[in-house]
Amino acid sequence: MVRWGQRKSPWILHFNTGACNACDIEIIAALTPRFDLERFGVLLKGTPRHCDIMACSGPVTRQIESRLVRIYEQVPEPKLVVAVGSCATSGGVFRGLYNVKSGIDQVIPVAAYIPGCPASPQAIIDGFAKLLKTLEEGR
Amino acid sequence: MSGAEAVVAKLVAKFPSLTGRVNAQRATRVWVEVDRQAFAGVFHFLVKDLEFSNLCMITGLDEGADLGFIYHLARNGGLMANVKTRCPKGESMQTITPTFPGGGIYERELTDLFGARIAGLPEGRRYPLPDNWPKGEHPLLKDWKPREKGAQDA
Amino acid sequence: MPDKERIVRVPIGPQHPALKEPESFMVDLQGEKISAVTLRLGYNHRGIEKGCEERTYVQDVYLVERVCGICSQSHSTAFVQAVEEIAGLELPRRAAYIRTLIAELERVHSHLLWLGVAGHEIGFDTLLMYTWRDRELVMDLLAELTGNRVHYGLNTVGGVRRDISPEQIPSILKVVDALEERTKYYIELAMTEETLAQRLSGIGKLSKEDAVLLGAVGPTARASGVDRDTRRDDPYAAYGELQFQVVTDDRCDVFGRTVVRLGELMQTYSMIRQLVKQMPDGPITVKAPLRIPAGEAVSRYEAPRGEDVHYVKANGTDKPERVKIRAPTLANTQSVAKMLEDGYLADLPIVVAAIDPCFSCTDRMIAVKTPEDARTMGWEELVQYGVRWYRERSVDVSKIKMRGDSAA
Repeated sequence: MVRWGQRKSPWILHFNTGACNACDIEIIAALTPRFDLERFGVLLKGTPRHCDIMACSGPVTRQIESRLVRIYEQVPEPKLVVAVGSCATSGGVFRGLYNVKSGIDQVIPVAAYIPGCPASPQAIIDGFAKLLKTLEEGR
Repeated sequence: MSGAEAVVAKLVAKFPSLTGRVNAQRATRVWVEVDRQAFAGVFHFLVKDLEFSNLCMITGLDEGADLGFIYHLARNGGLMANVKTRCPKGESMQTITPTFPGGGIYERELTDLFGARIAGLPEGRRYPLPDNWPKGEHPLLKDWKPREKGAQDA
Repeated sequence: MPDKERIVRVPIGPQHPALKEPESFMVDLQGEKISAVTLRLGYNHRGIEKGCEERTYVQDVYLVERVCGICSQSHSTAFVQAVEEIAGLELPRRAAYIRTLIAELERVHSHLLWLGVAGHEIGFDTLLMYTWRDRELVMDLLAELTGNRVHYGLNTVGGVRRDISPEQIPSILKVVDALEERTKYYIELAMTEETLAQRLSGIGKLSKEDAVLLGAVGPTARASGVDRDTRRDDPYAAYGELQFQVVTDDRCDVFGRTVVRLGELMQTYSMIRQLVKQMPDGPITVKAPLRIPAGEAVSRYEAPRGEDVHYVKANGTDKPERVKIRAPTLANTQSVAKMLEDGYLADLPIVVAAIDPCFSCTDRMIAVKTPEDARTMGWEELVQYGVRWYRERSVDVSKIKMRGDSAA
C-alpha cells in the first residue's frame, strides 16, 4: 500500500546543497503549468517527514554536508535520493574545488542521476518517470 | 578633463607624495597606490571630501611577505576609486566599519580566506568558510593546497 | 509588557521550502516582533575564486558563468569585460549588442521569476503559476538564441560565440510583445488589487539614508529612492547607445521593490526593441590572446539583483593571478537585518525574498544554536503561521495599518 502511494504519488523534498540555482529553478519550473509535474502526482513538500523522494541539487559544500545527512536521516523509509544536475552527479564544473565534496553520492546513497547543466525540466520529468517505473517493476 | 582625471588632480594636490602613484585608467576608473601609514588619510579624503560614498568590495591579494588590499570605492555618476595598500602578514589593518557599517562582511572574507588581521572588526559569524574549517588554513593564499581528499574534514 | 516577554529564538534554515537556497537566520522574537537577526551565510561557498586561478581564462568563462544559475550572463560578461580591458581589446559593436540583448532577456526571466517567488512567499501561488508560465516564453527564446535556457555559453574573451540571425528577430519581437502585455496585467494587479498592496506595503522598510549607508544595490536600493544604475552611470556593452529610464520609487518597502521591478521590465522591453532595430553589422569577435598581459581591471555590471563587481589581475600567463567577485546579494544582505528589525515574524519570508536573494552569487565558495528553552518552528510552519496571521486580521482592515500596537 505504501509502495503504491510512493509510486503513484511521490512527494518530493527539494534540497540545495550549494548549487548555482539553475537546477533548483528547473525543478520548480517542472511543477509550473508548462511542464506540470503535478499531473504525475508529484508534490513538492516542505518537510523531510512527508517526503518519499529527496531531489538534491548541488555539489555538496562542506558547510552543508552535515545538514544534508541530518535531513536524509529525517526522511522516513522507504526513501530514495535523486541527484539532479551535473553538480549533484559528479561535482560538475566545481569538481575538485576546495569547499565541495563533488557529488551527492559522496555523502548519501543515490538512486538516480539526472544529468544536465542545468538539468532541463524535460530531463527532470523523464528522470522521475524512469525512477517511478523501476519502482513499479519491483526494482 | 574626465571625471577620473579630475579626481587624480585633486588627490595629488592634497597629497603630493602620491605623485606617480595615482592614475586614471579610463574615464571612470582611478587607481591609487598608498603606503599603509598614509592609507587612512587618503581613504577619508576620498570618502568625505570627494564623496565616494559607496564601498563596493575589498580585494585581498597574496603578495608573498605582505597581503595586498584594494578598497574599491564608487560614487554617484559611475566613477570608481580603487585604493591599493599593503600590510605585512601578521600585522593589522584598521577596520573601515565606522565609515561603512556594511563593509564588515568584506573584511571578514579577508580574515577567512587570507588570514588577514583587521583591528576593531565587530563580532560576528565567520564568512564564507564553514564552521568546521581547520584553523590556520587560508585557501586563497598562493601556497595553500587542499590536502588529500577527505583529510580536510573535521 | 515587552521586557517581560520571553525572547524566543527561532532558527530558520538552512533547509526550508520557502527560499530555494540554503542560508540560515537566527531570529530573536519578542512576541511576534523581531528584535534581532543574525545571518549566517556561506552555505553556497564553493571555492570559485581559487578555482579561477587554477584554470585558464577560457575555462574560467564557463566556471564564472555558473556562479549563479539565474544571472549567469551577468557574471560571465562582467568577467570577460575585465579581461578585455586588461588585454586592451576593442569589443566589436555587434558583439556588444548581442551581449546586451541576452543580458536584458536575462533580466526579464529573472524579474518574472522573482514575481512568482514573491507571490509564493505571501501565499499567492496563482501568481507563481502565471508568472512562471509567462517566463517560459523568454526561456524558450533564450534557448533558441543561445542553445540553453541558462548558462548560455555565449561570451568569449573578445566577443560572443553565436550570432543572431535575421530569422530570429521576429521571435524576439513576438516574445517581447506578449510579455509586455502580461507585465501590464501584473502592474494593474499590483496597483488595483488591495490585498496585494496591503500585504506588501509598510514592511521591510529601508530608508534612503540606510540604503546608502549599508551599501544596498539594484532594485532594493532604487525602491528606497537611491538613483543608481550601473547601466546608466558606468555604461558597458551597448548601454551607452540605448535610451532608457532608471526606475526608482520612494516607498522604501517591499511594495516599492515590486513596483521598481515591474517598471524595469517595461524599460527592458523597450531596450530590447531598440537593440534589435539598431543592431550593427560586423564581426562578433576579435582575436584574443591566450596569455593576457600583466595588468588589472575592475568591471561593473547591473545584474537583475543589482551591481555585480569583478576584479581581475593578470600576470602574463594563460591563467589569472586573481579573480574577485562581489555579487549584488552580498551587498543587500547587509540591509536585511535592518529591514527585519521591529517587523513581524510573519513578514520575514517576503522581506528576505524582496531583496531577490541569490546566495549562490554571494557565497560562491549557516549553524544554529538553540537555547534549551527555545521553541523551534520549521519554515513551512512559519509560512503557514504568517498566512493565518494575516487572514485573521484581514477581516478588520484597520488592524493591518496599526503596526506599532501590542496586538501581537
